[in-house]
Amino acid sequence: MELMVDDVIVAEHLTKSYGSDRGVIDLSFSVRAGEVFGFLGPNGAGKSTTIRTMLDLIRPTDGRIEVFGVEPRTHPTQVHARVGYVPGEFGLYERLHVREYLEAFASFRNGGGRDRIEPLAEVLRLDLDRPIHELSHGNKQKAGLVQAFMHDPDLLVLDEPTQGLDPLVQQTFYGLVDEVRGRGGTVFLSSHILPEVERTCDRVGIIRDGRLLSVDDIGDLKAKALRTIVFHFAAPVDVSSFQNLPSVVAAAGHGDTVTLTVQGELDEIVKAAAHHTVVNVETKEPSLEEIFLRAYQDGGVS
Amino acid sequence: MRPLIRVSLSAQRRALIGWGIGLAAIALTYAAIYPSIKQSAADLDKYMQNLPDALRSIIGTNYTSPAGYLRAELFALLGPVLLLVYGIGAGGKAIAGEEEARSLDLLLTTPMPRGRVVVDKAITLAITLLALAVLVFVVVIVLGPPFGLDVAIANVAAMCAMFFLLGLAFTWFALAVGCATGRRAWASAVAGGVAVVMYVLNAIAPTISGLSWAQALSPFRWYLEPDPLVTGIHAENVLVLAAIASVCLVVGVWTFRRRDLAA
Repeated sequence: MELMVDDVIVAEHLTKSYGSDRGVIDLSFSVRAGEVFGFLGPNGAGKSTTIRTMLDLIRPTDGRIEVFGVEPRTHPTQVHARVGYVPGEFGLYERLHVREYLEAFASFRNGGGRDRIEPLAEVLRLDLDRPIHELSHGNKQKAGLVQAFMHDPDLLVLDEPTQGLDPLVQQTFYGLVDEVRGRGGTVFLSSHILPEVERTCDRVGIIRDGRLLSVDDIGDLKAKALRTIVFHFAAPVDVSSFQNLPSVVAAAGHGDTVTLTVQGELDEIVKAAAHHTVVNVETKEPSLEEIFLRAYQDGGVS
Repeated sequence: MRPLIRVSLSAQRRALIGWGIGLAAIALTYAAIYPSIKQSAADLDKYMQNLPDALRSIIGTNYTSPAGYLRAELFALLGPVLLLVYGIGAGGKAIAGEEEARSLDLLLTTPMPRGRVVVDKAITLAITLLALAVLVFVVVIVLGPPFGLDVAIANVAAMCAMFFLLGLAFTWFALAVGCATGRRAWASAVAGGVAVVMYVLNAIAPTISGLSWAQALSPFRWYLEPDPLVTGIHAENVLVLAAIASVCLVVGVWTFRRRDLAA
């Protein structure tokens, strides 16, 4: 893989082994400047392990990773100065008040972001004057987000950042990510929730059991994704009228009901269904499992 | 002041106040008892002569004198126990405790190198130990004389300086074990265990013929012999304890920079 000047993160055969089955094996990918890159996989797939090598919290066993053109191992502070990070699980200083904590972190960054504490806390509805040990999990998560966003980092590394946030705050968070993208920042977001990745990301890497299965544009992923559509008709319908449509992968009829497994566009299917009296339509977004199965069928890294 | 030192100190303030009150109260209590000790000096001195050698080597030889009393009651056992319990606990917490509480990932992804984080934490610990030693010094020189505990200020200062250095050596040792292992329990167990062994070694080595050389291996020997309350400060004793502390800090930084942080 060639190192492009505008690649913010480059992993080449990155391997981290722990002796057990955790860790990551032979990851190669790059994240371009200005994109939101989703890192999708179930818990324990190796997402946090990958992220922690980017930040020099752990060191690769083999292969290499570069962030802003340098290895975190040899230039950690250079990387850290430009990164905002929300770990998947983190503790705060329970004895401090939220404001004290965030101001402390601003001072660790030579004052960087102090003036953004108030506005970010307001957007996220985080009370700065409460002691941290009184905060709910969701509020601690918000404090972690403020800490990561406040110094306007060039790269945001977010490990399952919406865990514990209520849906309204999640929307606010997505807005913050869009803002970062808008000013040319780069975001690396790990998640096990497909809709979240679809909502926020430009490209997505899928990881499972420590191996990178594929890297796709989010549009391609959606197009490749298998969805299930269930039509309820007023009367029994011949399944064969759907079976031959190009985007239908599988079709099954049961009384008034037709269940289709679909990949790609829906247009012809809807038109075919419109010949009959439609009582109800259900669509099911593909589960993560189905996406993974798809990625397996495609055979690894693309 | 460097930001991490300032923040760490302010997070420590409550614990520090608690330990300070405890140490000061003990120093004051023993000072207040001294007049009654002095009254029965003849009997007590006789009693002390019949104690086992190991105990006498710790307590000293002149229990009822002001310097001997301060040594026996405050600086030979209770003071160091309290200081080391505080210091070893705080030393283990500084890095390993943060790692176990998962706050270390965030701290280490700020643009402070790992080594500097350890050094700033070490300086914070040193400041808190120094505060405790100075507090004991002030209590002894201010509240001692009214109870007849008259010891030359220079010698009390020497004793408190050694008190601080002893605390520093074991505190930075616990810090180093925490840096190397990431486990607070390991830091406390190893540093605490070594402290107990070294304490006993210092007490019994001189009483066993052929083993007296081994006393020099114990930091407590360099802390307490020759008695600072009687003979003042000794440069080589200062250097030995300072060297132990420094080696611990260097090892802590070195191991911490080399290893993966616990997930």
